[in-house]
This record gives sequence, C-alpha cells and structure tokens, in this order.
Amino acid sequence: MQQVPSQILTFLNSAAPFEHLEANALNQLAVSSELLYVTAENWSELLGKRQPGQDLFLIQSGQFSVRDSESQSRAISEGDYFGYHNLLDDTEHALTLQVDSPGLILAIKREVIKRLLSAYPTCEQFFLNLKEDTLHHQAVNDTNSLWLTKPLSEALGQKLVCAEASIDIQQAAQVMSASGVSSLMITTADALMGIVTDRDIRNRVVAKGLPFTTPVTQIMTARPIHITAQRTMFDALCMMTEHNIHHLPVVEAGSMAPIGLVSATDIIRHQRGNILFLIDELAKAENLYELTRLAWQIPHYFTKHALRMGDFDIVGKVLSQATDIMTRRLITFFQQQSGPAPIDFCWLVYGSQAREDQTLGSDQDNGLLLAKKPTQQQAEYFAQMGEYVCQGLGKCGIKLCDGNVMASNPKLRVHLQGAIEEAHRWLQAPTPQAILEFNIYLDVRAVAGNKSLLDQLHQARLGVFKQPLFLAALARHANEARVPLSVFQKFTYEKGRKYSDSIDIKARAVATINNLARIYALAAGLTMPGTVARLDALAKGSALSAKDAQNLRDIWLLLNRLRWRHQLRNHVSDNLIRVRDLSSIEKHQLKAAFQSIKRAQQAVVVKFSGGIG
Amino acid sequence: MPGNIASLHWLDCEFMAIDLELTSLNPKDSAITSVGWAEGKAGKMALNQCEHHVVMTFAPLNQSPVIHGLTQAHLKAGKPLLYCLQTLLEKGRDKIWVFHNANLDWAVLHRQFQQHGLRIPQVIIFDTLQFAVYQLAKQHQVLPSQSASLTVCRQRLGLPLATAHDALEDAFATLQLVFAQLYEFDPKAQLRLGELLHTGAIRYVSA
Repeated sequence: MQQVPSQILTFLNSAAPFEHLEANALNQLAVSSELLYVTAENWSELLGKRQPGQDLFLIQSGQFSVRDSESQSRAISEGDYFGYHNLLDDTEHALTLQVDSPGLILAIKREVIKRLLSAYPTCEQFFLNLKEDTLHHQAVNDTNSLWLTKPLSEALGQKLVCAEASIDIQQAAQVMSASGVSSLMITTADALMGIVTDRDIRNRVVAKGLPFTTPVTQIMTARPIHITAQRTMFDALCMMTEHNIHHLPVVEAGSMAPIGLVSATDIIRHQRGNILFLIDELAKAENLYELTRLAWQIPHYFTKHALRMGDFDIVGKVLSQATDIMTRRLITFFQQQSGPAPIDFCWLVYGSQAREDQTLGSDQDNGLLLAKKPTQQQAEYFAQMGEYVCQGLGKCGIKLCDGNVMASNPKLRVHLQGAIEEAHRWLQAPTPQAILEFNIYLDVRAVAGNKSLLDQLHQARLGVFKQPLFLAALARHANEARVPLSVFQKFTYEKGRKYSDSIDIKARAVATINNLARIYALAAGLTMPGTVARLDALAKGSALSAKDAQNLRDIWLLLNRLRWRHQLRNHVSDNLIRVRDLSSIEKHQLKAAFQSIKRAQQAVVVKFSGGIG
Repeated sequence: MPGNIASLHWLDCEFMAIDLELTSLNPKDSAITSVGWAEGKAGKMALNQCEHHVVMTFAPLNQSPVIHGLTQAHLKAGKPLLYCLQTLLEKGRDKIWVFHNANLDWAVLHRQFQQHGLRIPQVIIFDTLQFAVYQLAKQHQVLPSQSASLTVCRQRLGLPLATAHDALEDAFATLQLVFAQLYEFDPKAQLRLGELLHTGAIRYVSA
C-alpha cells in the first residue's frame, strides 16, 4: 500500500503554517512532494536546474545560505522556507544556494501549494507575512484585550438596533425578532429617549394583557441610564452594577444619539477576573497588614485570569499601577506616623515600574526628588520615609533592588539642583559602565508627592539628553546586546541553565527595544517613560519612521506576551523563556522579531553614532 | 560482481531501501510481519513511491509487537506474504536493494523466496550498516556499542531524528542514510559500484 512515511507528516505538521491542517490536506501536501538530500556538490543538479517558481522548499535538516529573490542572501536552517517569493509574486528569480552543512529539503510542488493556500487563507497570510518580513505583526494584530482601558466606542460588540418612538409594541417586537436582539433603543429625531427589552415585553405587556397595538412609548423605560462613548468598559461595568441593569445604551455626548449597547454578556465576555477590584481594595487599605495581604493576591489573580495572549499586554501596566498605589498608601501610612513632609518631595520610580512593564520578577527601583537641599533634620525624615516605603514594598512582594536603586539609599535621595548637575556629569563621561548605571534613571515617572518637581527636572535635562555625544554613546551601548540567533538564524540558548533551550528574552531582546525607544525618545525630547507609549509618540514624527516605530512596538508586545506567558504558566519570575513552550508559528515570529531588532540596532548606530558600533 | 554492473555509477542507479519487521532475530525461523520500502535516486526521494505492507501471518509474534506496535489482529488483516514478495520483486527490479543489516533481512527474504517457489532474483545489495562499520573501523579498533545502529548512523551524518519505528519508517530512514553516506564518501559522486566493493557494504547476489 502506498503510504507517506509518518516522519514526513510529523515534520510538516510541526512546521508553521501547516500545524493546523487536517490529516487529509497534510497528506495531499506530502504525497506529491520530494525529499532531497542536498549537498554542496549536488545542489545545482537537484535544485539549480529546476524551473524557478515551480516549488516551495522547506528545510528539514542542514544549513544553507540562500538567495531566492532580489534581496540579499540569507542563512537559513531547519524549519525555514525558501522559494516563496517566486511562488507568490509569479517571478522567476534564479536560485543560488550555498550548502554550509548538507541536509534534507522538502520540495513541495507549485500547484499543490497554490491550491492549499487558496483553500487556507491563514496559510497564505503566513507566507505573505514571511515575504513582507512582517511575521510578528500577525502575532499582535489579533489583540482584543486592552478592553479595560479602551474607550467604549472601540470596545463595542453588540449590534445597535433602534426604532422610532412612533411604533407600537408588535412592531417593536418584530424589529427585535428580525434583528435577533434582546433590547431595542427608541429614538426621537435620532436622540435616545427610551429602551425596551425582552423582559419589558414579558412583564409589562404579556403579563398585563396589553394590546400589541399599544404605543411602545407606554411600556419602554424612558430616559434610561446611559453612558457616553468616551468612557471605558470598566465605567460601564460600574454603572450596570450600581443600578442593577443588564443593558446600558452608549450614546454620543451632546447629541444623545445612540451608538451602541453594552450588555451583561459583553461584560462577561470581556472580563477576565476582577483585578481592578483588587486594585481598588489596595487603594482603600488602612494599614500595612491589609496592604500586604491584598498585594500577595496579585500573582494569583494573574495566574488565574490572564489566560489569553492579549491579556498579557495589560498585566505589566496593571502590576505597575498596583505598585504605584501601594507606594502611595505606604507614604500615607508613613506620614500618619511621622507627620507631613518638611519640604516638597516627589517619589520617583525608575526602570520597569516607570515604563509600566513590570513583571512578577521585577524588583523595585525608586528614589526621592526633593525641592531643595534638605537640612540634616529634613534629610533624616526622608531617610526614614525611604526606608519605610521600600521595606513596605518588599513586604508586599515587590523585591528589594539588588543594585540598591531605592529611596532607602542616600544616593537616590537627591534634590532638584543636584539632579540637574548630575545629568551634566553623565554627559561628560559617557563610558559604557556609566551608561549601564544611568540608563535606568532615564526611564522615570513620578508616583507621589509634588509631581511638578519631575517636570522641572525634565525641562532642565532635555537639552542635555539631546547632545549628539550622549546619544552616540547610548546608541553604541544599545548595539552591544546580541539577539540570540546564529548565523543560520537558529536560536542560540543561554548556557548553564536548567532548561537547555532557554532564552533570556529580557536581556536579549526586550531591554534592547527599551534602549532603542529611549534613544529616539530622548532625541525627540519626549519625556514619557513607557516603551510602547514612546514608540506610539515617535510614530507621529521623529527620527524613527512611523513604520519602524510600529514595527518595534509590535515586536515589543509580542516579546512581552511570551515573557508573561512563561512566568504565569511555568510559575516562575525569571525571563528565561523556553523554546519548547513556543508553537511553531511563534518560533517563526520570534525569529523574525529578533532579526528586526538586529536591523533596528544597526540603524540606531548609523543614525546616532556615525555608523561606529 | 559482473563487469557491466561494476562499471555503473552509483549516481545513475536507482535505490530501494527495504525494511522487514520480523518475529525473531533468527533468520531460520523468523516470520515477516510487515515490509516497507522507499525509492530514490541521486539524493532525490519521491514521497509517492513509498509502500508499507502488513503481512497476513499466524506465526507467534514473540517480541515484535512491543517494538512495532503490530497486533495479531493487524496481521490477520494483512496481505498474503506471496503477494508482498511478488510486489517487492516487481518494484525492486533493476534497483539496488538497501538494507540496514542485510545479513538478517536478506537471509529471511532469501528463505521466503525459496519457500514460495519464487525465482531468487539477481540483485545488488547495499548494506548501510556494513558501510558504517567500514567507516567506523578506520577510527576505532573496537566499535563502540550501538555505534552502527540506524539512529546513531543517521545522527552522525546530521540527519533528523526519525522516532517512529515500523518497516516503512525505517526503510525511509535507511534511504536517506544511504545518500548521506555515499555523498559524504564520494562528494562529487564519481565512483562506480565496483569501486565501492572494498567497503564490504555492496555485493551482488545471484541465484
């Protein structure tokens, strides 16, 4: 009996985008294919003599440098494709191949793969993205979970069905029935004036035996509780809970024109655990004991409720907000004990908390900015505050900083003029070691106290940070980290780790994007600390093109998701993602992401450092 | 080996890798429970020319089911051995028969051809195990244990791990191995069959 060896089917089934094909389609793909053992001596015979564009090639083993389009030759290996440019663009670029290590290549026939791609649009999209070098976009585009902070106008799912106030009950029921909705908005001159629900028809019409010809205005809820489109889903949830209603019309502010409806089902669909309630509780904590008890629940909430990839986009933000609130509560507790601050101060946070990309493994980085040079007594007050708050955060599960970047450290309690002078010193000595040390202070956010102190510091430092010499040093530093890919685009792993396929995604990739975004942001005089926020702002006009900014942002989100998933699924707080945990398509996406980071590193060196890396 | 055969270039020859699943390792009483083969030439292996046949047999299975996952029910539903042997002869005509350990598989096939009154064909046999032993002997006086197993031989040449273990999987794995071995030994693919005789891996068998 003719049969395709299962080793080929297994291989194909593990290769994106074929991993979700049903057995029959997979078999059709395999049976008409050829497996080639390709060496330096035989490649021209086996591959070079083929008509260009007649096959899609998938490497099963070996390492090759391939040129199959107008772009440069690329080094590829197991799981990589070539020949797709010709196939998708109907071009006939000749193939050149250098065999760096011989191996097996699967040649899939043009007509077979074409047929498959037209039957499976997701497979086609994969190759289009591969060709356009935008594979990582695919990962982020499906996000839909930023719902907590999204304005309602963007989060609305329900179909909007309206009817004029002149109709009768039967007509209203017919409209609802035809549209398959359980509530109907009643309007006059396009403005919301009432709402009728299934329940109203049951309770106010059928149960009371009203004739169906009764005007709908008699049974509707007039002037219903509503919400404007600029508010968030969270606001909607609060209103619905407060008033015990299941349908909440969303209207345009001013005109009162209905534009949507939030139903209880929408909320259930969107809500993945009530972390916000926990945060609300944090803000109400009366003492350190309550605060720590609540804080320790945060990781459990994440583990339980952050289940989808898109959820991970907000967990860092939520965690940072929670840490902010804890900090403010602790400062309040301290002031309740020790009295108000003798001079103006601003509690600053640095690094991940400032960027709002904290993870469960992030340690605290904070400091105090004082309005003026303190007297000894004043200094003592702030020393105690620093100690109390940092230790308190430690008790809440936010690790003390190994590098002692904490307000409990006298060096991190500076006054405004001192901080400005310090920035000038950075400029004078931008050694690699110095950059490493002050990089963290460049991502800064005010969390408590007089926030205008930080604004003043920003203003005073803007010019300093735009200095070419300074930016050049940062650019060289940002170029030092190597993405974990070999010449043949294979993942390279951290040595001496518990899992042999670990990649430190923070050190190798996330931190690099943070560094790159920071450089462009400083050059553009932007003061916000978050990487995504910086990239979004940079996209609106800066040394970084909108496309590159969006690209880096998507990559950052992808990496962040993988990092969070790793921490939550494996119950760890490190950044060592394991390649075995990635799906086949994620491996492709991650490789594409690393390649993009590498190019972005090179670009920043060219832009800011005169090409000297 | 006749001169006309010895002068053939291996690059021009068609290879058919064959693997048998047997009920024991003793060629004298071992029954064939299934047979698989895969064909290729000059490093090219078409996936629509691979075959797998389960043989109808009532012989005791001994250890085979453990290894190959075949059960008595599979075997009863299989094809008669005569049919499998005839198909093999027909498909294998004018091809080099490749085994990983020809001593066992060929001995069993030979006996079965005889028992079924089939004319034993004249075939060229290539044994990837013998070839590996020849290569290994250049480096080791005593071969490390398992160093010539199919899996280890493939690993040494950078071929991917083939985990499944049945007649077709092993035959296909052997087919890849023979090309990897030959291209490594003779990268420009210029040698004739006669020039491979000294390896002990190739031989000519006639009735």
